[in-house]
Amino acid sequence: MKILILLLLPLFVFAQVNLPTVPQPSQISSYSNQNYSNPSNQNILLNSTNQYFDTDKQKQQKQHQQIIGEVEQYEKLQAETLSQINQDINEINYNNQFDLPSLANKKGTEYYRNTFDKMLKLNIENYSIKNVNFDIENAYLENREDKAEFDKIVKQSGEFIIAKMKELKYDTNSNSAKNFMLFEFFSETLQLKSNGLKHFPIKYDFDDFWGKKDWSKMFVTKLLKTQTGQCHSMPLLYLTLAEEIGAEAYLSLSPNHSYIKFQDENEKWYNLELTNGMLTVSSFIFNSGFIRAEAMQNKIYMQNLSKKELLSQFYVDLASGYLHKFGYDDFVEKAVNKALELYPNNINANMVKANYNNERLIYALTQLKINPKKKEDIERIGNYPEVVELFKIRNKQYQIIDDLGFQEMSIEAYENWLSSLKETKNKLDNDNLKKQVKGLIIKKARN
Amino acid sequence: MKLKIFLVVILFSRFCATAQNQEKLFEQSYDLLNSMLLNGNTYSFKKAVFSAENAYLSNKLDTVLINKKIKTLKNLSYSILNSKTLEYSERDKEIVNKRASIFAIMCDTIPINFNGRILKYEPFGYDFTDVFGQSTKENLFVSKLLNTRKGNCHSLPYLYKILAEEIGIEAHLALAPNHVYIKHKSIKEGWYNTELTSGIFPIDAWIMASGFVHIDAITNGVYMKALNNRESIALVLIDLADNYKTIFPKNDGEFILKCCETAIKEYPNFATALILKAETYKKQIEKETNTEKHDDFLKDLEKQYAFIHKIGYRNMPKDMYLSWLVSLKTERNKYENKKLNIFDKK
Repeated sequence: MKILILLLLPLFVFAQVNLPTVPQPSQISSYSNQNYSNPSNQNILLNSTNQYFDTDKQKQQKQHQQIIGEVEQYEKLQAETLSQINQDINEINYNNQFDLPSLANKKGTEYYRNTFDKMLKLNIENYSIKNVNFDIENAYLENREDKAEFDKIVKQSGEFIIAKMKELKYDTNSNSAKNFMLFEFFSETLQLKSNGLKHFPIKYDFDDFWGKKDWSKMFVTKLLKTQTGQCHSMPLLYLTLAEEIGAEAYLSLSPNHSYIKFQDENEKWYNLELTNGMLTVSSFIFNSGFIRAEAMQNKIYMQNLSKKELLSQFYVDLASGYLHKFGYDDFVEKAVNKALELYPNNINANMVKANYNNERLIYALTQLKINPKKKEDIERIGNYPEVVELFKIRNKQYQIIDDLGFQEMSIEAYENWLSSLKETKNKLDNDNLKKQVKGLIIKKARN
Repeated sequence: MKLKIFLVVILFSRFCATAQNQEKLFEQSYDLLNSMLLNGNTYSFKKAVFSAENAYLSNKLDTVLINKKIKTLKNLSYSILNSKTLEYSERDKEIVNKRASIFAIMCDTIPINFNGRILKYEPFGYDFTDVFGQSTKENLFVSKLLNTRKGNCHSLPYLYKILAEEIGIEAHLALAPNHVYIKHKSIKEGWYNTELTSGIFPIDAWIMASGFVHIDAITNGVYMKALNNRESIALVLIDLADNYKTIFPKNDGEFILKCCETAIKEYPNFATALILKAETYKKQIEKETNTEKHDDFLKDLEKQYAFIHKIGYRNMPKDMYLSWLVSLKTERNKYENKKLNIFDKK
């Protein structure tokens, strides 16, 4: 747009300089009129007409006509140029007016941009979960966290788990044995006989578990400091430690929730609910009542996320941290688009995008002082094609989410569902599944 | 003596002739269904369903009477539409109101003003005898439902879909173990289920609670998928094959396999079709004398069963079906979609 203006500038200047030299026809016919805008120019013309005044009246009239023609042409050109310029200026104003203001100059956003750039360089099939997640959390915490300290804790925890496995004579090459031990690390009190080292179960933090007041409540670094976590930080720590001890485990999503899935040697899948320290059956998760068959068919929930899909989820985490700290701007869009590129059906990425589109629309409406709740105000939107477009974009994104089979789950319903895990049937399921895995491991260990 | 032999021959040939004629009817029905798949313009769920029933009934289906009955129901639906509207104001309210009118015909008692006298319209009922059509396939038929006004999870949703198409709206059939129900989408609620055997709108968790729905079966669309019209024709194709199997128990399997193949082409994860195909195939293998061929066929059969297992199908014992079906009424509170009480009459 700037280039266009620069190109138009000479035209504009040309028009401005030359126009006054040409008088209006009415001005010529009435010499008595002294209201000339530019007297010096007018004088030149007067002189030139005077020259022929006495000699040939017809000739003068002909010239008169010629001048009128010329003037009209000039006028036309002027009008065209001006309207084009006005159009461009308007467009520039529109864009400035309706785009969410960039927050890039706010202090602290640079950490997010750095992390984003770093993430772009990752190998999407093979990257360190521990490092990516740490970087994302540290962007929010403005690099105040100590990576060396974090690495040390992860390493020690990994060593503790392996030592305990050896003590129990579990097969340290078995994926189910490693996952089972890891699960116990989260849910039981473990003690090493050799040095008496003890690890207590990680507790669920009931306070602000969706990070509404304090986003850093969702962080693994917070979990390690307080030994309490929730459905975001616990699975991520699990994956970090799984990476550390070489176990294969996957993140899986359900409404407002995430949990762990792993496969045993017989290709049977297990669901680990870390917030309650229980093994759950798939039907329990489905029967939360907020997962539709369509959501399953579109694979938005209960899938074992691949590394690529998990990275998509990390981009959503990055965008979420940013918008909690600073608000919505094009950084959020950029991060979320990247997430959708990696995993188009990522429900969380689609939701953040929908919220972003909505914010953008609300911002544009506020700029125009349009209250979407007033009918007569809404009708005014039609005058601004750009805003109509924003409306369409937002509704299209809402449609995508509906089509994916998403269903809203309230915080009460979520709490009820999580606590229903303590019901007898689920406890029995948990006991049975635990026996199954343990039986498998012990049988292996004996062989 | 000669006369007796003559009579026997005559009778036998007559019998053969009717059998041949009926076989022809099945072929005709198959051609009709197949043509609907080849050319979408000829699609009519009503025609599809009744052609399969007529083949079984050896051309004895009274189509005039059936059509008359359907027309009456269609008119009734229009008069319901005119007499009451739902508390629903989204853009698709016209469609949602039409759905409600069919639902009322299927499940509600409706007072009708007939020449100044108030008559009571009784809804269609559930017939608990022979829900799988084991004693006679007719128990699954829409024509039987129209004549006796009692049906099951096969005929009730089929009639619902027929009526929906009669008044110009879509209805999606959906499958659960041994079961068929209706799925709709509305602007306000998104996808929701309509269960005609009990007249309730259950949540998806109810279908899961049957205990025989593996989570993979949902992901793969074996169950709980809103079937489109082509996939619905696939359902009728398997009905036709089942009818054929009952009429001709000693068949060579070719007609059944043909139906299965066409159905599977339309709906690759259609468990009933895959199972019928495997079973028919198995019968054919038993007759194979060449051991080498026999072994090859067996390997292929194993693959078929492995696929059926992989997509998440698990066999549900038939006696568990009814107790599950009834659970919707006994545990209504647990499984009812409470957001849909807009359907309660004004």
